[in-house]
Amino acid sequence: MSKKIRKSVDTARKKTKPRQKKARPEAESPRIGVFVCQCGSNIASIIDVDALTKYVQTLPNVVHAENMNYPCSRQGQDEIIAAIKNNKLDRVVVAGCSPRLYEPTFQSCVSRAELNPWLFEMANIREFASYCHQTTPGEANEKAKDTVRMAVAKARLLEPLTPIELPVTKKVMVIGGGIAGINAALDLADMGFKVYMVEKTETIGGYMALLDKTFPTLDCSICIEGPKMVDVGRHPNIEIISYADVLKVEGYVGNFKVKIRKNPRYVIAANCTGCGECRDACPIEYPNYADMYLGARKAISIPFGQAVPLTHTINRDYCIECYKCVDACGAREAINFDQKPEEIEVNVGAIVVTIGYGMYDPKDLAWTGYGRFSNVFTAMEFERLILAAGPTGGKVIRASDGQKPHSVAFMQCVGSRDINRYEYCSSFCCMYTLKHSVMLKEKYRDAIEVYVFYNDMRSNFKGYEEFFNRAQKSGVKFIRVKLENRRITEDPQTKNLTVCGENEDGKPVSVEAEMVVLANAAIPSQAASELAKILKIPLGKDGFFAECQPKIRPTDTEVPGIFLAGACQGLKDIPYSVAQGSAAAAQAASALSKGSWTVEPLVAKVNDELCSGCRVCESACSYHAINVEKAGDKSTAKVTEGLCRGCGICSSACPMDAITMPNYSDCQIVAQIQAVMKRELKKHD
Amino acid sequence: MPFQTLKKDTAEGLSLEWIMHVKNYKLNLDKNRCVGCQICNLACPKEAIRIEKQSKTVGEKTQKAKVDIDLSKCNFCGICDILCPYGAITVTVDGKHLLSVLDKESFPQLVRDIKADASKFPMDRDKSEDVCPINLIKVHYSTAEGKPVKDPCSLNESEQRALRMMVEVDKEHCPCCGICEAKLPQCAMHVRRILSGKLAITPEKCPEGCTDCLDVCPITGALYLSDGDKKVHANEMFCVYCGACKIVCPVDEALDFKRTRINHTPVRSGAWNKALERLTSPTDMTKELKAKRSLRARESVKKRMGLKEEQRV
Repeated sequence: MSKKIRKSVDTARKKTKPRQKKARPEAESPRIGVFVCQCGSNIASIIDVDALTKYVQTLPNVVHAENMNYPCSRQGQDEIIAAIKNNKLDRVVVAGCSPRLYEPTFQSCVSRAELNPWLFEMANIREFASYCHQTTPGEANEKAKDTVRMAVAKARLLEPLTPIELPVTKKVMVIGGGIAGINAALDLADMGFKVYMVEKTETIGGYMALLDKTFPTLDCSICIEGPKMVDVGRHPNIEIISYADVLKVEGYVGNFKVKIRKNPRYVIAANCTGCGECRDACPIEYPNYADMYLGARKAISIPFGQAVPLTHTINRDYCIECYKCVDACGAREAINFDQKPEEIEVNVGAIVVTIGYGMYDPKDLAWTGYGRFSNVFTAMEFERLILAAGPTGGKVIRASDGQKPHSVAFMQCVGSRDINRYEYCSSFCCMYTLKHSVMLKEKYRDAIEVYVFYNDMRSNFKGYEEFFNRAQKSGVKFIRVKLENRRITEDPQTKNLTVCGENEDGKPVSVEAEMVVLANAAIPSQAASELAKILKIPLGKDGFFAECQPKIRPTDTEVPGIFLAGACQGLKDIPYSVAQGSAAAAQAASALSKGSWTVEPLVAKVNDELCSGCRVCESACSYHAINVEKAGDKSTAKVTEGLCRGCGICSSACPMDAITMPNYSDCQIVAQIQAVMKRELKKHD
Repeated sequence: MPFQTLKKDTAEGLSLEWIMHVKNYKLNLDKNRCVGCQICNLACPKEAIRIEKQSKTVGEKTQKAKVDIDLSKCNFCGICDILCPYGAITVTVDGKHLLSVLDKESFPQLVRDIKADASKFPMDRDKSEDVCPINLIKVHYSTAEGKPVKDPCSLNESEQRALRMMVEVDKEHCPCCGICEAKLPQCAMHVRRILSGKLAITPEKCPEGCTDCLDVCPITGALYLSDGDKKVHANEMFCVYCGACKIVCPVDEALDFKRTRINHTPVRSGAWNKALERLTSPTDMTKELKAKRSLRARESVKKRMGLKEEQRV
């Protein structure tokens, strides 16, 4: 035993002895009940549960022990409640699976038997024993005994705790105004919550607002989304904060403080009617991001006609300050060249993150020829080409000669499903390529040949396979190629392209096309990594935000009160994003609707008498949950309960031993260590 | 094809391009016409144009300063095109030389008030054409029937009298120095300056043997080397106030140069006011604003009093 542990054992003894005497006036207490779970064959096939139960009965203070199949079931819980009552148990241990999932279940079970839920302890003999030592059952059984013995040792010292209730602000911030964010915001606003929608660009709408049609129904994208965008703009409970950046987020669930920078548009939103007279007067143009830079917009303008808010923006990088817009605006006086960035602070109870995704620039994939060959486009560029309100007025024309192509080849999986670029599948490219090819075929019929170079056609979900059939029937030619050895070359005279690949047998296939469209990978938003730092939420290894639990908590983050929806959590199409937006809204609402947030009482506690105000804990805490404050003439550490995650680092760092973690106190941990070291414990200790 | 920006720098010219799928913006700087003056550099609202003095080689003529344009800052507004006195810069949209800043009245045009009276021109083609230091005058002779005549000097007097003459001045590239007006017979040419200002050389401050300003000046006669003190002197009669000399002058106090006025079409534009301020001085800009204001006041008074155009208030 190292010096440090021995020291802490000593202090633990010193500290615990008097308390133990107080907490246990009669010799019968604590009365511990242990329930060993068979978990079907998950545990019972490796662990001899009968032997384990018999062993447990020999442990001090254990007055009841039994094994049962599925204590988590309704029947099992009823049996536990009955056992508590019949045996007057005041401590309960379940030896079963992971407390991460089932501790709340059993806590509520014991509380129904009128026992404090924190007088419950769990021993994980499934993940820690039966699962991981399947080939060595002897050792697995020994480890199961150790684990239960430790749990019993700790249970002996458990103390009843009371949960902490924190007041919440009934307001929500939605970061990102794409289709997921729009749905989250509308749902929350309809439920009566005040919603702040923060959007980085000039308008809400996201990628969906830039699409021509949606699959598999070929509905006009902006016709579906536009009215929703207007609803967001007009909803009395929603405040759009567009052209803004989230700078800082402090606080915890129910009480977040968000600092936002509103970037100057040089147009006063309240005065701008969106009439566009300034735009007509403006002499300067620059490439429009909303048109994927295929077309230009004025230095004072909106990115597209359906923008919400309709407030115009001056791009000072291009503006020459002739003030013709000021003249055109006239008495409305909406233009203010002296506008400065403005920082505002907003208090919200929950945050829904819906920042969407970005698109991979295939310029660095040399085989595609993108950026070198004038008739190679990305899918988003094609989307703007075929869109009636796009820069070409809906004419699909080549860049080299402005002519309509007679053959178009679509190339799938560009950058995605590539271990050197993005390993994952971009999920919606197959479907939008089907959409594009059907649109071309149905618009130009036999005047156009459409080829799709694909590897796997992924058309799951409702109506998608039928859409694939529709594409095949419309005459689109599908060519299956390997992902390796694909190549696009250009004829320097005609500017036509030859698309080459290898079929499954390794034989070369090639097609000459007058235009090529690349299904380039969708990638994490550029803003994701910075926002992850600001919100203190983790990113997955693919760069998208990591959900708390992929199966049953897909919209939760590690931070309570911060939720995810849409493509920022993982790529997904429109209906799935919409559903997740509503799901995150429901999550946020359930966190705030009660009016208070319950925090588990497992947060650090400071003994003011012992605390010297040395601030060691402050620097040790990664959550900024403990701060030294002056109270009277003494400075002591104070814990912000909403922020404390109960990690215990402050407690071990404290040189004065002034900080304790309830139910993770030194004496409890030492008792567990002693138990696992097989120290014989006397009944009275 | 994604949006592309291109920059090509050759001995003949510098060209910048924005290639969008549906639009093409192009700026072309003709290095043969560019004299390395500072006008585009001062006028550019995006500070995209840099002007760089070339290093000197002993025994050789001083090189004119080099103009470089930053592609990431240029917005293809065409202000440099409009203001270049030598017409060295051309901005085109889809190949057409139509500038939106002129169309939307965001910027004025320089007024090149040049009138030629062909009948007053001498019969000698060389004498007529050579007066222009940058060869912008072309004279065409033809018989009464319209047959072109190559060498009018070879004809006899009566034939010469019957000749028709046509004078073609390349106004777009003319800095309006007025040398033609002075050297050709009276009233053959009428030229009003675009730029006015002040140019004075203090020979005492000039380094011994320095002719840098003279080397770069495109207008023969605006600067000259005096036989007496072997120093360069200025003749303001022909100076176009482009400032090419000021850029290369190695001594600050030797060359006193400023522009005070620019002859332009009427305009109401913040961009013009700023360009004017940088090209002249805040005082001169204020003067123009005051003049404009009083003109407006006079017109409104006239209107109210119901006076006719020619009547004075």
